[in-house]
Amino acid sequence: MATPGCRDFQNSFESWMEGELPPEARAHVSDCRSCARLIEDLSSIRLAANEWNASEEPPARIWTSLRAQLVEEGLIREPQSKQKSGLLHGWFPQTPRPVLAGAYLAALVAIAFSMVGPVKRHVNHQRWMEGTENSTAMLSAQLNTAEQNVELADPNPVITASLHQNLAIVDNYISLCEKSVSEDPEDEVARDYLFDAYHTKADLLAQISERGDYGR
Amino acid sequence: MNTSLFHSTQFNWKAGLLVPGLLLCGVSAASADRLEKHFKVEPNPVVTIHNPDGIITVRAWTKREVMVVANRVSSEVDLEIEQSGNRVDIMTHQVSDTVAPADLHADYEISVPQDAELQIHDDAGAVTVSNVLGDMNVETVAAGVDLQDAAGYLTVKTVGGSFQCIRCSGHLDISSISGSFRLIDLRSNHVHAQTSKGNILFDGQFLPNGNYFLKNYSGDITVRFSPGDSFDLSATSYKGKVNTQAQLTPPAQGHHFWHPKFGNSLFGSLNNFGRAKVDLSSFDGTINILKRD
Repeated sequence: MATPGCRDFQNSFESWMEGELPPEARAHVSDCRSCARLIEDLSSIRLAANEWNASEEPPARIWTSLRAQLVEEGLIREPQSKQKSGLLHGWFPQTPRPVLAGAYLAALVAIAFSMVGPVKRHVNHQRWMEGTENSTAMLSAQLNTAEQNVELADPNPVITASLHQNLAIVDNYISLCEKSVSEDPEDEVARDYLFDAYHTKADLLAQISERGDYGR
Repeated sequence: MNTSLFHSTQFNWKAGLLVPGLLLCGVSAASADRLEKHFKVEPNPVVTIHNPDGIITVRAWTKREVMVVANRVSSEVDLEIEQSGNRVDIMTHQVSDTVAPADLHADYEISVPQDAELQIHDDAGAVTVSNVLGDMNVETVAAGVDLQDAAGYLTVKTVGGSFQCIRCSGHLDISSISGSFRLIDLRSNHVHAQTSKGNILFDGQFLPNGNYFLKNYSGDITVRFSPGDSFDLSATSYKGKVNTQAQLTPPAQGHHFWHPKFGNSLFGSLNNFGRAKVDLSSFDGTINILKRD
């Protein structure tokens, strides 16, 4: 539960994150488990965000952790003989591409969402906007790359038409949501719909990718 | 054991005569493109179906066996129907890469014990399942899915196919991109339904402590309620409208509800016993909360 001390600390929170550590704030953090945990979480997120921006490929520890989770949840299957090279193959050489694609893209969306979500109340508009743009630009690029690697054409023209049509629908929603987010980057609902649309597209691309491996 | 069928009817007929032990149960070819197979199963069998295009009809019956009646359109598709332990796998696949789209089609009528678990993948056509109480996972691209009197953990995922569920219970998780959902006479304590461009109709019971989450980007979300229902409602359309016929009690003092800057939102409770949680959200669609006739 927030105490006056917590409120005072949170009012000067941005300064703390900028590196200003007045004695009274330090004393509060050492006594208040809630604020200490908040500082830890946000520092981790900021660190992850910095690392993320530093290179195109996310840090290896993220993939190690992700892989461990995929194994734990049984999403990673035994290696198949016909592996296709691609975007994800180098990171998880023993994992079937479709399974990994879906899990990877979903995780990517989740990670990006978690990175831009909690810091909302504590940063100014410009920084928030930059954070949103960074994460969405990265997601867009990854999804576009994934889209280029999947085969939309199906022997059945009904299926091909449906996939094209629905991909266009999702792209349209992404555009609409991006517009809403750019108009008001702090709008939580717009962001929620935007990341949901990204997730839907990731899911659809994974589904298309999986289809390519069955029935042929 | 793999029983690859329909390379030619004549071949299968001879094979059936010469190697009857190869088939686990009886096979009778009533016509050139019809196959009927029976498999004895234990309680809670698993039936998987992979079909690129066709009508799949699954019904529950009282026998402890799975009966598969398959009809294919041409010999350009091959059907594999095999039993492995307590699992029956059914798969349609093309014989060559030059199959005409119209030939990539097979219909199945499948009878299963009521406690069977189903895993169905049908890209186009239609899927109908009735009276099956086991868990179910259905994935389609354009095929519509129609469930009746189903229970268990139901997961349905379509790209453009619509979904209808009549008198279903258990746990329901549905997602689509452009498919519409009709949930009629539902008796489920967990419903998670999300579509991008489709309508959602919920006309069922709100069970005590149940969770009902319905979301779309555009299209109508319509929920019907009875005056005796009890639920906490959150309904938000970001750029659309929310219409209600429910006389809701405002949220309790001190209870935090977040309100968006835009759109139309409605928060409140109907009756105060055994509340269900109802969460309706749309990007620019219309949400209707209507009294049941």
